[in-house]
Order: sequence, then structure tokens, then C-alpha cells
Amino acid sequence: MISGLKTFTDGGLRRARWMLVSLLCAAAPAWAFDLGELMGLLAKQKQGEATFTEQRYVRGFDGPLAASGTLSFTAPDQLVRRTLTPRPETMAVDGNNLVLSRSGRTRSMTLDSVPELQGLVEAMRATLAGNSQVLERYFKSTVIGGADAWTLDLAPVDSRLSSQIAVLRLSGKAGEVLGVEMEFRGGDRSVMTIVPKR
Amino acid sequence: MSAGPSRTRRTWVLLLWLAAVLAGVAVISRTQFSADLSAFLPASPDARQRVLIEQLQSGVASRTLMVGLEGGKDALQRAEVSRALGKGMRASGLYEQVQNGDHSEWQEAGTFVFDRRYQLSPDVTPERFSVDGLRDALTDTMSMLGTPAGNLVRPLFERDPTGETQRIAEGLIPATSPRTEEGVWVSRTAPRAMLLATTKASGSDIDAQAIGIARIETEYAKATQGMGADAPKLQLSGAPVFSVQSRDKIKGEAIHLAIVGAIVMGCLLLAAFASPKALVIAVLPVLTGVVAGTAAVALVFGSVHGLTMGFGSTLIGETVDYAIYYLIQARGAAVRGTGWQRWRDLNWPTVRLGLLTSVCGFAALLFSGFPGLAQLGVFSIAGLVAAALVTRHGLPMLAPDGATGMGMRRHMARAASGIVEAMPRFRIGFLVLAVGAVALMAWQGGTLWRASLSSMSPISKASQELDASLREDIGASDGGTLVVIQAADEQATLRITEAAGQRLDALVGEGQLSGYETVTRMLPSVAAQQARIGSLPDAATLRTRVAQATEGMPLAPDRLEPFVASVEAARSLAPITREELAKGPMAPVVRALMFERPGGGWSSLIALHTTDRFEKAKLVTALAPLPEVQVVDIGAELGSLYDRYLHEAFVQVMLGALAVVVLLGLYLRSLRRLVAVCQPLLLAVVLTLGGMAALQVPLGILHLVGLLLIVAVGSNYALFFDQLQETGRADEDTLASLMLANLTTVVSFGLIAISDIPALSAIGRVVAPGALLALLLSAAFGKRRAR
Repeated sequence: MISGLKTFTDGGLRRARWMLVSLLCAAAPAWAFDLGELMGLLAKQKQGEATFTEQRYVRGFDGPLAASGTLSFTAPDQLVRRTLTPRPETMAVDGNNLVLSRSGRTRSMTLDSVPELQGLVEAMRATLAGNSQVLERYFKSTVIGGADAWTLDLAPVDSRLSSQIAVLRLSGKAGEVLGVEMEFRGGDRSVMTIVPKR
Repeated sequence: MSAGPSRTRRTWVLLLWLAAVLAGVAVISRTQFSADLSAFLPASPDARQRVLIEQLQSGVASRTLMVGLEGGKDALQRAEVSRALGKGMRASGLYEQVQNGDHSEWQEAGTFVFDRRYQLSPDVTPERFSVDGLRDALTDTMSMLGTPAGNLVRPLFERDPTGETQRIAEGLIPATSPRTEEGVWVSRTAPRAMLLATTKASGSDIDAQAIGIARIETEYAKATQGMGADAPKLQLSGAPVFSVQSRDKIKGEAIHLAIVGAIVMGCLLLAAFASPKALVIAVLPVLTGVVAGTAAVALVFGSVHGLTMGFGSTLIGETVDYAIYYLIQARGAAVRGTGWQRWRDLNWPTVRLGLLTSVCGFAALLFSGFPGLAQLGVFSIAGLVAAALVTRHGLPMLAPDGATGMGMRRHMARAASGIVEAMPRFRIGFLVLAVGAVALMAWQGGTLWRASLSSMSPISKASQELDASLREDIGASDGGTLVVIQAADEQATLRITEAAGQRLDALVGEGQLSGYETVTRMLPSVAAQQARIGSLPDAATLRTRVAQATEGMPLAPDRLEPFVASVEAARSLAPITREELAKGPMAPVVRALMFERPGGGWSSLIALHTTDRFEKAKLVTALAPLPEVQVVDIGAELGSLYDRYLHEAFVQVMLGALAVVVLLGLYLRSLRRLVAVCQPLLLAVVLTLGGMAALQVPLGILHLVGLLLIVAVGSNYALFFDQLQETGRADEDTLASLMLANLTTVVSFGLIAISDIPALSAIGRVVAPGALLALLLSAAFGKRRAR
């Protein structure tokens, strides 16, 4: 509710759609569920393992491009995405360091030297850690739904990132993230489905 | 004056002297003064040291400036100033490269990489262009599409579906780069924006470096105009700043010391002689000595190191002694105008011997493999000889009877007599102290000589800390460990560099390195380029293979028609050459990492970005099969260089001391007198060293040079005492002259001792107490004849 009102006062026609939805939420107090609460739920999970499948819709291709692999997160700041198909590839984030391994080569980078990259990492990492402060540094967030089925929309604040990505949409249930959707500028889209390991 | 030297002789001597001084001044006025460490690097280095020296003198590090913009209003303001400053600096044309995180400058480079991708990409092999290879590469690239990283790949996909541009860029983007905020580089620890610039001018051209630095200050002033107190502060560091700072500091300090020294010395001499004329005359040998020393160094070495100049001020202490001896000892002649003749017959031989011993001592430095030490040797010898010649031949023309006034000299003579009478009583005390000093030194052993090369650097601790902090922010490879490739020609160097790069890739895979910078990413050897071009199939073949490779993919093969065209065009491209790159945006990178060596042949560098898992031994093992490749650990290399330097200086100082003893022995022709002269000198050295050991002062090469100076200066005192013993005439004037000479020496070296420049203060702190001790000990141990 609070985030909905904040978005409202901040204005911005681009987000009008989400505003409308959040205003609807505000109208129904029984549904009230805000970023603070969501983050509280997420923060309880200190460690998590999951498998994922990804479908990417890229213009100029006749069908979706698929990928699958595993994800692991350890609070507060370690995140590993291991792609198994179609190509083995690992992206490991630890603090300010990013290590990419693909085709037998390893490359490391510092996140804070590429702010748009850091924003992308935080969309996932800060959400999983339940760190609303970091998340709000990079994104305007909008929460829809309730604890048992929520959607968190993230619109990049940084101009470089927002010139690439229109919106990031994370969805889940209680303290678990079950989906990540990315809408790129230019029309490409990717949908990731996450299945936590139990 | 009537019986003084004849008028013609006087005219000739004075004219000759004047001409010599003018010639010296003319030489000096055309001389370059340097202040870099290079004068203190060996002239005949081994292969690794040569690399080190080349790098220190002209490597990219010697031309790199780090700029910080700290404080001010906020990050946005700092970013604006950084952009304005960067723009101004780029427009000035003084810098080869100015980086501040603004990636717009990479656009041109990006076009080059894209256009030449089939020559540059290490992945271009015949297998890559087989059906399977193409399928693999396409799958790889497509796995990035529709991800955030894919945004960069997508616009190029049709022309570069195998991702060669991406592959090259991976290698070119440094693994450790500064934090970016508001589009510019910023510090991770301080409210600071950062810029990195390399000057076009060589690092050894200090005047040009000073211009480069001044330009930054001007552009900064322009960029912060109207901001007033809100403006972020400018911070500058890097080797060029250090060079300019050292030179200015040494220059300033030399002038400062000269002025203070002149005033103090002037007061002393005035008190002693009560005659301004005597004062002027006493200064003449000093000035002539400094001019002669500087000119001699300029003629022999082509340039004069700032430190040698600083050392010049120490020479005042010894050369003024000659004038004092003359002015006092030539007094009281029976016939007016003959005092100089009497001095020439009676005292000159002793002064001459003192001069010869000093020259002997410093001659050892001439053979030093380090130009810096050799410069000190040439300077001292030329300066001392010139001052002595002026005293011997010039001063009699100006003051045939020495100085006339009495001033405080009677008191000095009385004090000197008192000391001479009293000192022998302290012999036992001195000996006990000497034994104690030897014991202390033996106990401390090698740790006594623990000063390092950096202790000679005049750079303040605050500047060094700022440098370290800016360096940390930039995340530039600190240059701690370098891989250096040397070969006979350009292509051989490039081929070996490629071979070394392959071995380093393995270390990157192991996590020992986070990356490395090599010239072959921009400029592969012609052989490698030809092999890559040779692996490209013709258009028809490629078209068929693409069709086969894309079977079952959601991708129509005709979408890749631009790819087929690109490959076909690449097949007829001429190899990339260094000349071509030198004209484009890659020029700074190529120039930094590859250069023609001064002695012939080519050299390339690989700068390493190490991780905390890095082990130097593994690197050395990995590169061992390539004999043309050297691993240079700069810190360790400098350390071993200094050790070699110290060891060499030890040997030379010992040889110098030995030469002094032999010379004295030849002259005195008496073992007893030789022992009597050497004893106080040895004790003075031992007691000085003991004092340093007791005070926990880390000793270095310049302390060693200081010890040689104690022997050089002290031998004069010891010889005069010897002369007094032999002639039995302990006349007041000789004692007064010794007293005054010692006082001026102690004062001039005392001034140097409190200098800000470590190299000078090291000499001063050794010589000031040492010279005093040498006089006292000469008095204490002079064997007295029964009166």
C-alpha cells in the first residue's frame, strides 16, 4: 500500500498500469501486502537451492530459446547461476566480485565498476536476501498480491539499465521466488521458472 | 702589498681563474638536471635489471598520472568536474590517453575490433568453421540472446553469429576496474572521482612532465570555476609527480641550505676575522669548487643528478677549510707580503696531503657501477682539487698575508689549546666507548645496514600514502610482477608473447590470475593472423555449412547471409601492423606494452592482475620453457639491486680507505706516525657508527659515503696534529685555524643533517658528529713530545 502511494506521488505515466493495480490493492485492506512484509518473508530464507528453466523470446527467431540449470543463494551476498543446457555456463557472485565461466574460460569482474550489471544482480540477490534498502537504490518497486502469491515489479532507476530493461517481474509464494520475468527494450522477453529443491 | 706576487703574475692568475669559472658556468648553464632514481640504478645491469631500468625510465608507469577529485558537494558534482577535466585534458593534446570511466572513447576501438575480428579472435580456427564448430558457436551466442548480456550481442548477431567480437572484448576489458558512479570512476573508500592519464612525453623528460602536471591544474581550475569553496579538491600522484616534486624539493633544499649555510658560515668567519674582505676571500674557493664539481659532472655524465647538487652544499664544509687554513696560517710574516710564501713552504704540503687523501677516498667511488655514486666521486674530486688550487694559487694574489683582522681568533686559539691540553686525559674513555661501539655493532650485525632504496627517495610519506590510495582505487595492475618478453625482432617478440599468453590462460583458469594485459590481443603476430584468415572457408562452402549447422534451430540460415559476406571480405584483409595501430585509438595500449629496446631488439610486457591465490613460483614454472620470457618482481628486483649497490659501495669505501692509508704511509714514511694519524680517524668512524647503532638508525649507502667524508675531512686534522708534533710548534694560529675549520664543517653538515631530504640528512648526521670526533680524537691521541 505504501509503495503504491509512493509510486503515485512520484508520478510517471510509464508505471500507470502498476499504479492502477496497487491502488486497487489499497482499496482492499484485507489484501494489503507491502514490500516491507515481503522482504521480511524473504529474509527468513538464509540459504536456498533450486532448479530453473528459462524461455527466451527473441525477435528474429522462429521459436523460443531455452535454457535450464540450477540456482543457489547463500545470505547475504552469494549467488550462483549454473546453466546446464544448452551450454554449461556459471555465473557466480560473491560480494563485489562476479566470476563468469563459459567455454572453458573464466573471467572475473567487479560489480561496482559496472553499475547496470550491479543493478541486475541486486534484483535477484537483494530480493532473495530481503534487503529492501539495496533494492530500492536500483529499482522502483511495486508489490501486488498477498503472502501466498505475490508479484514484485522492479523498474530500473539507473538510466543505463532502464535503456536496456523495461521491467523485471519476480513472483513467488511466501519466502520463495518461483519466477523471474524480464522485459527488454526492443521487445525481447525472458521467462524463468524456478523450482526450489527441498 | 709591495712584496707580494708580481703584478703580471697576479693579473695572469686572476684572469685564468676567472676564465675557468666562466667556462664552468657556461657548461652548467647548458646542463640538464635530473632527479629520477635512474642515476642510482646500475650502469651494467643483468637482463632483468635492464628491463626494470627501461621501465623505470621510459615505461608506461613513468608516464602515468593519477588524478583524484575529492570532497566537494556530492558525487554528481565530482562527476561533472571529472568529465570537464577529462575533456579539457584530452583537448590539450599533451596526453596519450585520459581515462575517467567515460567509455565513449572506446567507440572507435570497438569499431576496429569488430572490423578486424577474424584476425584478432583467438577462437578462429578451421574447426570453428566446420559444421559442428559453427553449431557450437551459434549455440554459444544464442545462449546469450534474451539475457541482459545479450543486448550487446544482438545488434551484431547477423554479422558475427559466432561471437568473435564478444570473445575479443572479453580479453580487452580489464578484470579489475574502478567503481563507477554517475558514469565516472570513483573511489571505493573515499568521496573521490578518479582519472588516469598517460603523458605523451617520456617519463625522463621532467620539464615536459611538469608542463603536463601544470596543465591538469589549469584545466581543474577551469572545470571548477565559480564553485568556490564547494569545489572538490585536486589530488595528483604518479611517477611524473614524484619526479617533479623531487626535483623541486632538491632544488629548493639546495638553495635553502646554501643560503642558511652562507649566513651561518658568514657570521662564523666574520666573528673569526672581523673583516668582510676575509669573508669574501674565504668563500671564493668554495664557489669555485662547486662550479668545478658541477661542470665536471656535466662534462663526464652529460647531466647532473639533483642529489649530486645537494651534495655540493656538503662540500662547502670541506672546501672552506682550505681558505681558513690559508687566511690564518699565512698571517704574521716577518716581511710584509711574504706570508703566502711561508704558508706555501710550511703548511701547503699538509693541506696538499689532506687533499690527496680525500681525492684517494673519493676516487674509489669513480669505479662504482652506479652512475649516482660515480657522480658524487667526480663532483667531490673536481670540487676539492679546484678549491685547493684556488687556495694555493689564487688567494695569495688577493691576500698575500692572509687575513689581517684578529676578531675572536685569540679566544679560539685559547679554547683550542685548552682542548688540546685536556683531550689526552679522555683517551681511556674514548677507547672504552670504542670497544662498546664495536661490541654493539657486532651484536646488531647485518641488521645495522637495513635502510632500503626507498629511504633515499625524497618523496614524503603523505605523498606515498596518497599514491597508494589512488592506485588502490584505480585497481590498475600495480606493476608488482611483470612478464617481459625480449626477442630480436617484432614478429618473434609477438609470437613468443602469444605463447606466453597461452600459458597464462591456464593460470587464469586456476584462479591465480584474474586476467592479464598483452599487446597480442590488439596486434597478433602475422603468423597467427594468417593462420586465422587461412581457416576461413569461401562463401559457397560457408553458406552450405551454415545451412547444415542451423538445422533444427529456430533460426533461418539466410538470416546469416551478412555473416557469410563478412567472412568473405575478411579473407582478403591485409594483416594488422604496428604502424597501422600507431595511428589509431589503440596506439597508447600498443606503445605501453611493446617497444623497441634502446640496445636493439624488441620487448613486450604482460601486465598481470593477480588474485590473492597468486603464487609467483607457479608463474615462473609455467613460463620456464620459454627462455625469452622473464618474470620480473619489481620490489624484489629493486631490493636486490640495492643490496648489490650497498655491497659494491662497501668494497669501494674499503678500497678508498686503504688507498688513503697507503698514501699516508708513503708520505709519512713512519709506521708510528701512520698509526698516530690513522688511529683517531678509525676511532671517529667506529664511535660514529656506534652512536648510530645505539640510536637504532637504519644505515644505508649514503651513511657509508658519509663515513668516507669523515676520513677525508678528519685526515686534515690528524695531519695537522702530526705536523704540530713533528715541528714541535703548537702555534696559536694553526690551532685556531683547526678550531674554526672544524666549527664550519660541523655547522655545515649539521645544517644538512636537519634537511628534509633523507639522502642529505643521512650524510649530515654521520659527518657532523664524525668530524667533531675526528678533531677531538686527533687532539687526544696526538703523541705529545715533551715540552
